[in-house]
Amino acid sequence: MDANTIAWLILLLPLASAAVILIGTRRAAGVSALISTGSVIVTFVLSLVLLAVPADATAQPLSWLNLGEGLTINIGLLFDDLARGMMIIVTGIGMLVHLFSLGYMKDDDGKARYFAGLSLFMFSMTGIVLADNFVMMFLFWELVGVSSYILIGHWYNKDSAADAAKKAFLVNRIGDFGFMIGILLVWVLTGSIYFDEIAKAVGGVENAGLLNAAVLLVFCGAVGKSAQLPLHVWLPDAMEGPTPVSALIHAATMVAAGVYMLARVSFLLVEAEGAAHAIALVGGLTAFVAALMATQQNDIKRVLAYSTLSQLGYMIMAQGIHHGSEAGMFHLYTHAWFKALLFLGSGAVIYACHHEQDIWKMGGLRTRMPKTFWTFAIGTAALIAVPGTSGFFSKEAILEAAWHDESGFAKVAWALGIAVAFLTPFYMVRLFVVAFLGKPRTDHAEHAKEVGAIMWVPLAVLAAMSLLSPVLMGPLKASGHVAFHLFTPTGLLSLAGLVVGAFFGWKLYTGRDSDPISIPLFANRFYLDDIYQGIVRVFQDFVGLTLDAIDRYAIQPLTTRGPALGALGLGYIFRAFQTGNVQAYAFLFGLGAVIMLWLLVF
Amino acid sequence: MTLLEFIVFLPLLAALAILIGAPARYTALSAAILNVIAVLLVAIRFGENTLETLTPSFMASSRELLASPKLSLAFAVDGLSLVLVLLTVIVTVAAVLASPAEGRIKGSPKLYYVSSLFISAGALGAFLSTDLFFFYAFHELALIPTFLMIGIFGSGENRKRTAWTITLYLGVGSLILLAGLLALFFQCGGQSFAFSDLYESVNTTEGNPIPGDAQNSTFLLLLIGFGILISLFPFHSWAPPAYAQAPTPISMLHAGVLKKFGLYGLIRVAMPLLPEGAAHWQTLLLVLLLGNIIVIGLVTIAQRRLDTMLGYSSVMHMGYVFLGIASGNAIGWSGAALLMFAHGISIALLFALAGSLRDRIGSLEFDAIRGGLAKKAPALGLLFGFAAFASVGLPGFANFASEVLVFFGGFKDMGDGLGALQIATIVALWGVVISAVYMLRAYRNVFKGPLADADANASWSDLTVLEKTPVLLLLVALMVVGFMPNLLLMWVTPVMESLTLFGR
Amino acid sequence: MDSGLTLNHFLAISGALFAIGFAGVLIRRNIIVIFMCLELMLSAANLTLVAFSRFNTTEAGLPDYNGQVLLFFIITVAAAEVAVGLAIIVALFRARQTIDVTQIVSMKN
Repeated sequence: MDANTIAWLILLLPLASAAVILIGTRRAAGVSALISTGSVIVTFVLSLVLLAVPADATAQPLSWLNLGEGLTINIGLLFDDLARGMMIIVTGIGMLVHLFSLGYMKDDDGKARYFAGLSLFMFSMTGIVLADNFVMMFLFWELVGVSSYILIGHWYNKDSAADAAKKAFLVNRIGDFGFMIGILLVWVLTGSIYFDEIAKAVGGVENAGLLNAAVLLVFCGAVGKSAQLPLHVWLPDAMEGPTPVSALIHAATMVAAGVYMLARVSFLLVEAEGAAHAIALVGGLTAFVAALMATQQNDIKRVLAYSTLSQLGYMIMAQGIHHGSEAGMFHLYTHAWFKALLFLGSGAVIYACHHEQDIWKMGGLRTRMPKTFWTFAIGTAALIAVPGTSGFFSKEAILEAAWHDESGFAKVAWALGIAVAFLTPFYMVRLFVVAFLGKPRTDHAEHAKEVGAIMWVPLAVLAAMSLLSPVLMGPLKASGHVAFHLFTPTGLLSLAGLVVGAFFGWKLYTGRDSDPISIPLFANRFYLDDIYQGIVRVFQDFVGLTLDAIDRYAIQPLTTRGPALGALGLGYIFRAFQTGNVQAYAFLFGLGAVIMLWLLVF
Repeated sequence: MTLLEFIVFLPLLAALAILIGAPARYTALSAAILNVIAVLLVAIRFGENTLETLTPSFMASSRELLASPKLSLAFAVDGLSLVLVLLTVIVTVAAVLASPAEGRIKGSPKLYYVSSLFISAGALGAFLSTDLFFFYAFHELALIPTFLMIGIFGSGENRKRTAWTITLYLGVGSLILLAGLLALFFQCGGQSFAFSDLYESVNTTEGNPIPGDAQNSTFLLLLIGFGILISLFPFHSWAPPAYAQAPTPISMLHAGVLKKFGLYGLIRVAMPLLPEGAAHWQTLLLVLLLGNIIVIGLVTIAQRRLDTMLGYSSVMHMGYVFLGIASGNAIGWSGAALLMFAHGISIALLFALAGSLRDRIGSLEFDAIRGGLAKKAPALGLLFGFAAFASVGLPGFANFASEVLVFFGGFKDMGDGLGALQIATIVALWGVVISAVYMLRAYRNVFKGPLADADANASWSDLTVLEKTPVLLLLVALMVVGFMPNLLLMWVTPVMESLTLFGR
Repeated sequence: MDSGLTLNHFLAISGALFAIGFAGVLIRRNIIVIFMCLELMLSAANLTLVAFSRFNTTEAGLPDYNGQVLLFFIITVAAAEVAVGLAIIVALFRARQTIDVTQIVSMKN
C-alpha cells in the first residue's frame, strides 16, 4: 500500500464504520460494537504504518468544492510529522477507549448508537488532524462538535445530559463563529486557504492590524474547542456523557484540537505578535482559574475536567510563547495518555461503585481495586509532574519556554504557570487521598470490586505510556525534546510547588469525612455559569420576546395586515354597488352606456 | 413537444386527468416520478455542459404567440435553472408522498392533489421560461392553489383569515412586481419579452442604456416585489402563519420551491439588467437581510410552537441567500444558488417531519409537548435530528457548503479594511449561532429529556415506511450534494460567472 | 316612395321602442315581462337597421342590403335566444318557485 491509500483509509474507515452501523447493524448492538472497534484497531495499525512512510509522500486530494479560479476547496491530506504524531494519539487512545467501552457499555440500551457516535468522532478527529487547509479543518471541526453532541447526550432521557450536550454544541458554535471570520480574513490577506500557501504568503502581509485580528479570530475556534476562558463552561458539564467518552473526547483528543490547530498555524502566530501575547495570557489565565476551581469540586470526573481545562491552558499558553509551540504539542502528547488513563480509571471506579461519582462517598478503594489504584496513582504522578514521569518533562518544557521569552506577557503567563504548579499537586492529592485511601464511607464503596480485564488492560497500557511516552517520542514523531533543567529558577520553583502542594493536600485530607475548607467562590466556579445563564436569558428570551412582540404588533400590522385591511376597506365601498339585483346591474350598465355615448358624441 | 415542455406540462396533464377521474394519488405520484426521470434525463444530456451564455439556451424551444411585442412560450435550461428544476421535482415527489392517503383527506382528495401538481407546474414553468411574460405568469399559476389549500385543508382556527391575508398580501406583492417588470420591459425597449432580447438591449458599447434614476426606481420596485414573495424583512409576516397552517405538502412546496422564484428572479432579471440600481440599493438590501438573519433569528427563538418556529426559520435563512446575492460575485452567487437548493430540501424535510409529528400528538405547542419523544419514536427522532442539523448548516449536508460559499463571497472583494458587505457578513455569521440555538432547543424540548408516562403509553407509534420514504429521499439528496457540492456547482458557477460579469 | 316619412321618423319610433324596452327591463319584476322587454329592444335595433338600409341607397339606386342581412341574423339568433331564455326561466321557476327578480339575488353574498 502506498501512502495515498493508507492516509485515505485512515480517514474513511471510521466513516464507513459509522455508516454501516447507522444503515445496517443498528439493531445488532454487539456486531456494531465489533465493527466500530475493528475499524479503530485497523486505523491505529495504519497510523503506525504511516510513521514509516517517506517524509515527502503526499496524498491525492479530492476536489470537494471547485469554483474555478475564484476558490477551490479540496479535501486534501497532509501528513507531516505533526500530523503523524497526533494520529498516533488519536487512534491509539481511541483504540483503548473503544476496548474499555466494550466493557463499560456492555449492557447499555443505546450501545449501537454509542459506537456509531464513537466512529463518527474518530472520522471527524482524523479529518482535523490530516486537514491541509482551513476550510477542511473547519468542516471536520464542526463534525467533531456534532459527534461530541451525540456522545455527551448519549443518555438523552436524562435532562442533565440533554442540556449538557446542547450547551457544549452551542458554546462551540460561538467559538466557530470567530474561527470562520478568522479563516475568511486569512483568506483575504494571504489569498489562500491552504496551510502551505499561507505559510509562504503570510510574510508579505502588510496590514498588521488585520492580521493580528485574523489570528485572534482563528484562536476563537481554539477557545471554543479547547475550552479556554471565557468559553470553558461546556467542558465540566460535558462529563454527563459516558466516562470513556470523557476520556477520549474531553481529555485526550477533541479538546486538544484547538492546540493542534494553533500548532498547525504556528507560522501565523510568529507574524502576529500581539495576537500571540493574547493567546499566551488567555492560556495562562485558564490554567490558573481552572486549577482554583478544581480544588473545590467533589465529583471525581469534574475534578478531572477542571484539571483538563488547566492543562489545556498550559498548552494554549505555550502556543502563544515564542518557540513554545513544540513544548505545547509535547505536553498535549504526554497529557493525552495520562489524562485518558485518569478518566478511564475514574470510569472503572464509577463502574465499580454503581455509578457513584461523589468522592466523599468513596474511600478505601486501594485494597478493593488494586489494579485501578496503581494505574490511577501513576496517572496522578504524571499529572502533578513528579520528576521522571512524562508530565514532568512536558510541563517543564513549557515553563522553560515561557521563562526564556523576553516579552512581559510571557512573564505574566510564566507566573501563572508556576502558580498552577502549586495548585495541581494539591487538588490531585486531595482527590487521590479522599477516593482511594482511608475507609469506605458508603456501601457502594464497601462492595466495590476490581473491574474485568477488558477494562483494566487499557488502563495498564495507558499507565505504561504515561511513564514511557517521552522515550517513544522519536519513533512516534511527537514534537518537543526531553531535557532536564532542574537547577534553573523554573525547575526549582515547580519542584517546590510539587512538594508544597502535595504536602498540604495530604495533610489536610487524610482521614477526613468531609471537606475541611469551603470556598464557595471556587466551588461555584466563580459564578461564571450563572452569569452566562443570566446573559443568555436576557439575550435569548428577553430580546427574543421583545422582538417577537414588535414583529407581531408593529411590523405585521404595518406590512401584512396593512394591505389586507386596505383591500378590505375598498371592498366595503365597492360592496355597496353589488346589490345582487339584475335590474340594478342593468341600470348601471345602461347609465354607463349613456355616459359613454355622451362623451363620444358631445 | 420538447422534453422541457413535457416537464412543465406533465403535472398539468396529470391534474387534468385527476379532475376527469383518474385515481388522484397514483396519478399524481406517477407524474411526479416521471418528472424526476425526465429531469434526470435532461441533467444527463446537459452533462458537463458549461455554457457561458447568459440566456438559458440548452434544449431551447420557442412557440411564438405574438410578433410585436415578441411574446413566445419559450423554454430552455441552463445550469442555474437545472438546479432549481431538480429541486422542484425532488420536492414534488416528496410532497406527493407526504400527502395523506385519499381516504384521510377531509374534503376533496382531487383538489388536494391537483393543487400540489399546479404548484409544481407553476414553479417548473417559471424556472424554465426564457420569456419574461411566462416567467411571471407561471408563478401566478402556482400561487392560486396555495391560497385554496390553506383555506380549505389548513389546520388551525384562523386558517381562513390566514388564507385571505396571504392572498391579498402576495397579490399586492405580485402587483408591485408586475409594475416593476413592466417598467423594466419598457426601459429595455418594449419590443420583446424574451430574456435574450432583454439582455441584448442593455448590452451596448456605451454601457447600460437605462438611465440611473430609472434603474434605481425600477430596481426598488423589483426588490420589494420579489422581496414580498421571498419574505424579505420586513415583508415577511405572511410566511410563518401560512406555513404553520398550510397542509404539509403545501408548506413543503411553497417554502421549499416556490419561494425560490423571487430569488431566481433577482439573479436572472433584476441584478444583471439593472446593475446601477442594484449598487444603489446595496446598503438597503444589506440592512434588510440582516433584519432577516438577526431580528427574525431572535424572533424565531421566542416562538412557542414548532411549526411557526420552522416558518420563521425559513424566513431567517432567506437572509443568507440574499447575502450571497448582495455580494455580487460568482462565489457568493453560486453559494446563493446552492443554498436555494439546500434550503429548499431541508425546509421541506423539516415540514414533512413536523407534519408527521402533528399527526401523532395533535398540537405542536412546546408547552404541550412533554419531551423525550425520541424514546417513543426513535426513527422520527433520528430523522428530525438529521434535518435539524442540516438546517443548522453542518458539514455533510448541502447547507454547509452553500453557507461557506456565501461567506467567502462576502469577503471576496474586500479592500484594505472591512467594507459594509464584510461587516454584514460578519454580523450574518452570528446567525449561525442563533439558528443552532433555536433548532437545538426545539430538538431538545421535543425529543430529549425524560419520556412522560402519558406519552409512553400513547397509542401512536413510530414513522411508517410510507412516511419515511419522502424523508429519506430528501435526506439522501441533501447529503449527496453535501458530500459532492461540485455536482451542482459545475453547472451553476459558469452561469453565475457570466451573469455577474455581465455589463461590467 | 314619397309617403312623407323620413329617416327621422323611423329613428324616433325605434328610439321610443328601445326606451320603453329598457325601462321595462329596469322596472318590471316579472322575469317573463323583462324578457319580452328585451325582445322589444332587439326589435328597436332591427327597425333602425332596416330604416338605415332603406334610406342609404347605393349608386345603382338600390338599398344598402348589408343592414337587412344583419337583420336576418339578428332574427335568427333572437329566435334561438328566446328558446334558450324561456327554458332557463322555466328551470329557474322550478328551482325557486318564483319569477320575481327581486327574489333572485343569490349573487349577493
